[in-house]
Amino acid sequence: MIDLSVEVAGIRMQNPVLVASGTFGCGEEYSPLFDVGRLGALVTKGITLKPWQGNKPPRICETPAGLLNAVGLQNPGVDAFIHEILPVMKGYGVPVIANIAGFTKEEFVEIAERLTGTGVDGLEINISCPNVKSGGMALGTVPELAAEVVEAVVESTSLPVIVKLTPNVTDIVALARAVTDAGADALSLINTLLGMAIDIKSRRPVLGNVLGGLSGPAIRPVAVRAVWQVSQAVDVPVIGMGGICRGEDALEFILAGATAVAVGSAHFRDPLAAMKIISYLEHYCEENGINDWQKLIGTAWKNK
Amino acid sequence: MGTECRADAQLSDYAARVLEQVAVAPGCRLLTVSSPGLARAASPGQFALLGCGTGYDPFLRRPLSFHRVDVKRGKVSFLYRVKGSGTQWLAERRRGDVIPVLGPLGRGFRHSDRGKRGLLVGAGLGAAPLLFLAERLSRQAWSLTVLLGAPTRTGILRADAFERFGTVRTVTEDGSTPKKGTILDLLQEEINRGGWDTIYACGPRVVLKAVQEISARTGIPAQISVEERMACGLGACLGCACRSASSSGYLRVCREGPVFDAGEVILDD
Repeated sequence: MIDLSVEVAGIRMQNPVLVASGTFGCGEEYSPLFDVGRLGALVTKGITLKPWQGNKPPRICETPAGLLNAVGLQNPGVDAFIHEILPVMKGYGVPVIANIAGFTKEEFVEIAERLTGTGVDGLEINISCPNVKSGGMALGTVPELAAEVVEAVVESTSLPVIVKLTPNVTDIVALARAVTDAGADALSLINTLLGMAIDIKSRRPVLGNVLGGLSGPAIRPVAVRAVWQVSQAVDVPVIGMGGICRGEDALEFILAGATAVAVGSAHFRDPLAAMKIISYLEHYCEENGINDWQKLIGTAWKNK
Repeated sequence: MGTECRADAQLSDYAARVLEQVAVAPGCRLLTVSSPGLARAASPGQFALLGCGTGYDPFLRRPLSFHRVDVKRGKVSFLYRVKGSGTQWLAERRRGDVIPVLGPLGRGFRHSDRGKRGLLVGAGLGAAPLLFLAERLSRQAWSLTVLLGAPTRTGILRADAFERFGTVRTVTEDGSTPKKGTILDLLQEEINRGGWDTIYACGPRVVLKAVQEISARTGIPAQISVEERMACGLGACLGCACRSASSSGYLRVCREGPVFDAGEVILDD
């Protein structure tokens, strides 16, 4: 049996295949279809301080090889998360990473403090959501502001802190360096790309929120590029995501420098995508005689 | 992020083999697949997500409600309109082809214990989920009247199939059926006639809103099947939101729906 286990930001995982925030509910939705306990870790939908109802529909729109979404962080708030959702997620026996979304630095700190000691295994700071007007991407595109948030959260919690970055910036490496210097234990790359679609019949934007975040295989090369650039520039592990649908895609991210990967939109096309990716990685290592799969991380730039 | 449990052990991604594909009207197809497990598990008003295409374009699956289910023969039928690349791909499937079918999904029609006089309102393709419902209700000795409406005669779908289970009344906007008007005219006639225990409706939002209004005004319980753009179908992605009437938030069409009690949701335009 191939050992795919890995440690990311001090969080021990049985394999490097996670689910991307906002695509997997609390695990319970997928549990009739496969053993959710086989995943590397679960990542929650973005959690805000107060309950948040999200954007008006339509919230999604299919696009070539992907989709736009503008869900807008709908969630019941951190307290309901802790009491109602976290116990369900912990029940699968794999680490739970809480994606947190403040609208201000102070809110990020307060959410982090409330989650500390609850059983959550790590935090993923969401300074990259394109679908809310304040916080989200507004904080995550300016390195100084992003660093301030990260520094404040790191000081407020004993939990590992992962920072999820937006690709909607000129220089993602500068952003990555800033949040790493501020104490981030790991980085998630990438959140969705800002996009939109227009209905030519109604001559109006399709999404209720007008703008949305693009995900799916359409954005994969952008994500691979971000992982390639950032993993060479910082010393913390990178969790790669963006259009990963098959085992080959996951391997591409690992070769680009990712220590773990997350599967998101692919679940909408194939609910078993993450399971198939884990199997692929096992077979790949077996067939190629690889005992330590982590030697593959960043091979594409280490061997250049 | 729902936390309720449901005992849907039969929910699965079935590899369904195409048995038959029939054009029932211009642009409308009746697709029948073999999937005994799905047939056993499906209830009227529920739906499935059908995988379309072999690459990534189209990317999302297509949600289609169960049109007919033959448990004994393990057959499941879907009635759909060819609208875009996904349904076009489905329309090209032939006998023997395999389609991934994730289901059954969502909350279907509920039985009311008020009485067994049901009024079914199917506007256009809204007829799709009502045939399965009509069959199950008639088996339980319900007395049914089925209203089918469309702009023209070719849009009246499956009237002959419905006739086995109740009285069928049709209406077209261009008068190509004996009765000219909209389905709302027929609905109002039937409401005036009275004696209904439950209204079941599927169709465009304007029709569903009228059913909501009639239900609120007359006190006759109504259930409406709502459509929305959908991604995961499982309640995870929160993409298919419908405004809740009882709270400030949203309900998931794929999970709390697609069939809602008329007073449960606010249908935005």
